[in-house]
Amino acid sequence: MPRDVGAEVRDPAELDIAEALKGLDALDTPTVVTTPWWRRALAVGLPPLVALVLFIAVWQLIWASAITSEYKVPAPISVWDEFAATVDDGRVWSILWTSISRAFVGFAIALVIATPLGLLVAKVRPVRAAIGPILSGLQSLPSVAWVPAAILWFGLTDATIYFVVLAGSIPSIANGLVAGIDQIPPILPRVGQVLGARGLTSARHILLPAALPGYIAGCKQGWAFSWRSLMAAEIIAAGPLLGYGLGAYLKDGSDLSNMPGVIAAIFLILIVGIGIELLIFRPIERRVLRARGLAPGV
Amino acid sequence: MTATVEHRPAQLAPPAVVLREVGKTFGTGPDAVTALRDIKLTVRAGEFVCLIGASGCGKSTLLNVVAGLEEPTTGEVDLRTARPSFMFQESALLPWLTAGRNVELPLQLSGVGRRERRERAESLLSLVRLDGQGRKRPHELSGGMRQRVSLARALASATSNDEPGLLLMDEPFAALDAITRDMLQGELLRVWEATGTTILFVTHDVREAVRLAQRVVLLSSRPGTIVREWDVPENGRELLHDEITARLRQVITSHAA
Repeated sequence: MPRDVGAEVRDPAELDIAEALKGLDALDTPTVVTTPWWRRALAVGLPPLVALVLFIAVWQLIWASAITSEYKVPAPISVWDEFAATVDDGRVWSILWTSISRAFVGFAIALVIATPLGLLVAKVRPVRAAIGPILSGLQSLPSVAWVPAAILWFGLTDATIYFVVLAGSIPSIANGLVAGIDQIPPILPRVGQVLGARGLTSARHILLPAALPGYIAGCKQGWAFSWRSLMAAEIIAAGPLLGYGLGAYLKDGSDLSNMPGVIAAIFLILIVGIGIELLIFRPIERRVLRARGLAPGV
Repeated sequence: MTATVEHRPAQLAPPAVVLREVGKTFGTGPDAVTALRDIKLTVRAGEFVCLIGASGCGKSTLLNVVAGLEEPTTGEVDLRTARPSFMFQESALLPWLTAGRNVELPLQLSGVGRRERRERAESLLSLVRLDGQGRKRPHELSGGMRQRVSLARALASATSNDEPGLLLMDEPFAALDAITRDMLQGELLRVWEATGTTILFVTHDVREAVRLAQRVVLLSSRPGTIVREWDVPENGRELLHDEITARLRQVITSHAA
């Protein structure tokens, strides 16, 4: 049992050591430099804003110079008008909801399947030998390649859409978890062992938290893949049983030679993809990395 | 509860660790490497013993065998203490937990309730002079502070039952700068006297060994066997340091051929 040293009367020599140690701690403790929030916001927000403005300016110039026909490169303002019209009649919300809800449900199912799968591949040697290479190979297979098969299997139903989304995101998430587990410093499982963690307790207290950064990176990539796959599926598979999502909206624009509609749809797809990443994944990732001292600066 | 722990416990204290003809061989056949051979060692409760030797003397293997991380090939390890706790050369703190939660972890794993383990962690942190630093994360601490958190965690692990603890230390100060190392050696002695823990300490630094230990055990290399043991006298450490260094040099020289 540790004695309560605070209660002891310390002799002067020991007091000196305590003070010296305190001094040493103060000297050696890493210093944290903080920058004011507005400067950070400026450093993060300004460059993309400038890039966007430049992009629109160049676009406007190309349109104004009339080097190509109007139906190929519409004016930025007509794309904006097209977008504003979908907002005015409220269509944009139902389009966005159809696609985003599908992507989220698909992503959630993918998480539930990919997490145990990744754990198995990472920790069970024969399983890794058997499906590890396939799992990483599947990552390079464009999920749009699954669409024709899925249509034959499931017809033009939501099942087709979800199948393609899952095929796209499961390998990324599982591979992320495998990479996260592989990168755990070997000292940490040993620490768990000497502290008395065995089996499932070790997985809960050591393995999973240690693999978290890799897992989150995998989830981020998995989201990007599931969003991409969803768009591919929505563009190719259209039918009365399928809701009207962003992909269908894009396809309609193309079928009707409505270029402003096509470009508005592309922008919406891009904005949703980036928005989810910035609003959901980036903050989670940053929090996890900062807690471990892995995200310098901020 | 300031029960006085004797500065130098009597040699009559009951044995805490008994190694009987312990040997460890890695691999089989012609490629087999014998890391340890015929180790006979008794460490008494509350004793501070340093194992010293050059590279390849199997001192880390010996600690692993005592810790139960590896099985001995021959002989037996008799532990009469609570589960031994381990301190590594790196602090090996879990980077996602605060200093306090790192210290709490072994208590949590052995089923101590939240309030009690929080109190214990706090008193252990103050024992290593880190009062009020429990909420900091490992990356916010200096190397010396991290190693003290690691010591507090090892003590929590060693004292999680009320049996006397056994602390196995594998060159815990080797990665620290000289000033910090000197301070922490003093701190370790203070903590050892305050807690009465049994310590088996591996080092390759003779000066560190004679400063810390009551008994120094010199191991030869490939395979590791015990060459000699010295009791460290209160006075005359300088002389002992020279003697051990000379003997160590002899052992190393024998590998030149």
